[in-house]
Amino acid sequence: MPMVTIDGRQIEVEPGTSIIQAADRLGVEIPRFCYHPDLRPEGNCRMCLVEVDGFARLAVACATPVADGMVVRSPHTSPQASQAVNGVLEFLLVNHPLDCPICDQAGECSLQDFYMHPDYGLHKSHVDPAEKVHKRKRIDLGPRIVLDAERCVMCSRCVRFSADVSGKAELQFIQRGNHVELMAFEDRALEDPYAGNLADVCPVGALTSRDFRFKRRVWHLEHTNSVCAGCSTGCNVRIDHFQNHIERVVPRRNPSVNSSWICDEGRLSWQAAQGGERLTQPASGGGYPPEIRWSEAVKAAHELLTDRGERPLAVLGSASATNETLLLLRRYAEQAHSEHWLDFRLAEEVQLVGEREDQLLRRRDKHPNTLGAVYLGLAGARGGLPAMLEAAQTGEIGALLLVYYPPLVGEESAGVAEGIARLLANVPRSVVLTTHRLPYLQGAALQLPVAAWSEEEGTYTNFAGTVQVVERAIIPPGMSRPATAVLADLVEHQVYRRPDADAERLFAELARTVPAYQGMDYAMLDSRTATTYPPEGRMHYGQEGFAGR
Amino acid sequence: MTNVLTRHIEQRDQARLAVALRGGAYEGLRRALKLSPAELIAEVTASGLRGRGGAGFPTGRKWSFIHPQPGQPVYLLCNADESEPGTFKDHYLLKHDPHLVLEGIAIAAHAIGAAKAYLYMRGEYASIARDVQAALQEASAAGILGDHCLGTDFSLQIEIQLGAGAYICGEETGLIQSLEGKRAYPRVRPPFPAVHGFVDQPTVVNNVETLANLSYILVEGAQAFAALGTDRSTGTKLICISGAVARPGVYEVEMGYPLLEALRREAAGVRLGRRLKAIIPGGTSVPVLTAEEAAPVMIDYESMQAAGTMLGSGGMIVFDETADMPKALLRIAEFYAHESCGECTPCREGTGWMAWVLRRLVAGEGRPGDLELLLRVGGNIEGRTICGLGDASVQPVRSFLQKFRPEFEALLPPARDAGPEWQRHGHGPRTARHGAPGDEALRSEPVDGPPDAAL
Repeated sequence: MPMVTIDGRQIEVEPGTSIIQAADRLGVEIPRFCYHPDLRPEGNCRMCLVEVDGFARLAVACATPVADGMVVRSPHTSPQASQAVNGVLEFLLVNHPLDCPICDQAGECSLQDFYMHPDYGLHKSHVDPAEKVHKRKRIDLGPRIVLDAERCVMCSRCVRFSADVSGKAELQFIQRGNHVELMAFEDRALEDPYAGNLADVCPVGALTSRDFRFKRRVWHLEHTNSVCAGCSTGCNVRIDHFQNHIERVVPRRNPSVNSSWICDEGRLSWQAAQGGERLTQPASGGGYPPEIRWSEAVKAAHELLTDRGERPLAVLGSASATNETLLLLRRYAEQAHSEHWLDFRLAEEVQLVGEREDQLLRRRDKHPNTLGAVYLGLAGARGGLPAMLEAAQTGEIGALLLVYYPPLVGEESAGVAEGIARLLANVPRSVVLTTHRLPYLQGAALQLPVAAWSEEEGTYTNFAGTVQVVERAIIPPGMSRPATAVLADLVEHQVYRRPDADAERLFAELARTVPAYQGMDYAMLDSRTATTYPPEGRMHYGQEGFAGR
Repeated sequence: MTNVLTRHIEQRDQARLAVALRGGAYEGLRRALKLSPAELIAEVTASGLRGRGGAGFPTGRKWSFIHPQPGQPVYLLCNADESEPGTFKDHYLLKHDPHLVLEGIAIAAHAIGAAKAYLYMRGEYASIARDVQAALQEASAAGILGDHCLGTDFSLQIEIQLGAGAYICGEETGLIQSLEGKRAYPRVRPPFPAVHGFVDQPTVVNNVETLANLSYILVEGAQAFAALGTDRSTGTKLICISGAVARPGVYEVEMGYPLLEALRREAAGVRLGRRLKAIIPGGTSVPVLTAEEAAPVMIDYESMQAAGTMLGSGGMIVFDETADMPKALLRIAEFYAHESCGECTPCREGTGWMAWVLRRLVAGEGRPGDLELLLRVGGNIEGRTICGLGDASVQPVRSFLQKFRPEFEALLPPARDAGPEWQRHGHGPRTARHGAPGDEALRSEPVDGPPDAAL
């Protein structure tokens, strides 16, 4: 395999690796606009010029494959490359409007970051602001994206994303020379269900997210790694939040799951988790009893579920719950005093789990953890919601414990909603753990508020069996608690010993007891190894200067 | 003088097949088809023929890079997107002797094993494209081109494609992109067209004039062709003389012919009896020569190189003593700013910036340091772009500024004017901002009024 030396450091890489990929692996920062690890290289921005021994000219690191024995010098060590990159950066700023104070990208803008770099930035401007070429601003490209052609550096990442990744090919350059500008045909609204990624791939403020525009300066944001719960794909995401409020969700790069992308539905799914009417305190009979404490609520739930005579206890989990929640749910069911009926299926989750909705990421099963529930053995022989409903109608069920999360993408199907409502109507002794106040849950004897996605820690197992960690980004509203804590309380009422509700320890138990998870270690789970692109903290100033884009 | 390319150019109706055949058209193809591709490439290599599009790359060698995988199609593209300012030789050939070019295309296609060739003509040549199409149809109907050329196993489909009028379509990878129906953004090399060219297949792009030489080489032999011209620049060259001459036009001269002799004899000298001031010898992308520099120069690749310029396309633009060189350079810079495709950063922003600076210089609004700025901007373009357009835009700026510097310096404001207004007010020297009212630095600059007031 070729051995390449970059800035005096050696690395062995596979044949065909480009210089910039080798440098990224070495941790040598090479500035770039047009290069993106998940798009085909184009070599147009000329920002990644490096000096290569034996080459007459400077080479573009993104489009030059390494050769054995190649010696490369980046702008950090080569005065020639540094001068060239400085020149390219100066060109990029010649006609740039410099409207950083009102630009949403400020703080995570490659132009800003590179200009501030002492090795190739910080030049003195020689351009009269009155002489700049002006282009169109604030162009409405539909519900996701706003285009500012003047800020564009013509790197064509968005054009390539649109043409090669989502396949919609909705963007193209028009005009020539320094009048080149980005345009959607006739300024039509983008129809791409992945359009949100355009704002992510844009290294500057040309394409900004309509949803996030002007909501928060990015340096105020806190970042939490998570996994999208919108469908069974399990795209790796980063939740950006401020003062316990989610501001946006952006994809994290994970080549084995979602590359650098996420669908728009998933990107905005946090709005479903945070929106609607949240259940913020325990509720009985559809109303809010005044000032009920959690201890009283858990006691009431315990009594509802245990005083059921000889009839069995039905426990209906959810493919949207974490593996850890499902583990405690299973334990609760197994420790029930009499026969129990445990399942999680509301409809066709298991049949749909791997089925694609499109060619890129989306899957038809809108639950993040269907396979996790299957691995835990929750798909029993007796069947899920429809079978339970049938049994309830003949009075065969004594009590029901339901864990229910409304889908974050799309609406709950009318059949499932009606099925749940009828099940609750037929089983008077019912306890529901849920996030939202929903009309079809109003028949429950007791509703307990639990944390929604982004408010609790745990793991999901995606359609391919990849186990990934979701971390807690914000605190759940009102009296809501993580479902693991509530279930631990219920188990404690049964066996007088409180089980561990900590996600990491619960997962250790999963790794011991579930064959599919044998030998897995929470600290090494897949989404933990996924990265943001470019790698966070790589840039010279500020610990988060370059994060996310 | 031996004519290679223009033997029949004045023959009436030469574009008609019957007339062309009487003059010996397609005889070269007949001979070429008796040779194997390897023998044909060896013959053309022996002739010393070099690409006439501007770069002067040996044609036989270019062909020898084609090594298709079994079953892989090979394409020949004839570049007739003649867009270099001052160049109009391909138009001349295609208009007056289209069969010579079509024959060359067929010979080259046989050499590289192409069954499909495209003649890519610039959109402005639409009127002659019709005539070339008619000639193509006539030759195909006569069994010379098309299926089983001249009764042999070799078949070749030639298609004419018109561009939509962009300089960049003459750049070989830009041409390929355009032919594929895409925006003519040049491609990063490697991979080269010989490996990944048109529709990702092995492709050769040859200029019209290059291909037009092939008939002669096959009929008269490589040795006869190599005997013309100099050792390393063989054959003849079409030169397009324009500008301040009495008889502008396209002329064929043997390689190694003295440049000024060509001006005097062929173009009848500088117009109105004026003195020669400068000459751009190979299209606007090559460095300009002063009259003194031009005196010893011969029309061949090596002599031009020795004089610090290039033979390029052979588009010779002549300036007489009355020429305003800054204005001429502005015109050239505007061309490149307009024609830069906008793909890569240095060329996109740099050509526009150079044109902007020249515009204000010529308008009498130059600023101190503008000449250095021009050279610095040029230096930041050169060698850092995807294709040659960036370099091409810098050559004239650098050479004009070097060779006619006094004319540019005369446009600069007197030294006491302290630079552009925006710098004086908003971003003045830090010391001035801290100075008390009445401070020397503040008083020396007019605060109100337009920047011209100081002049």
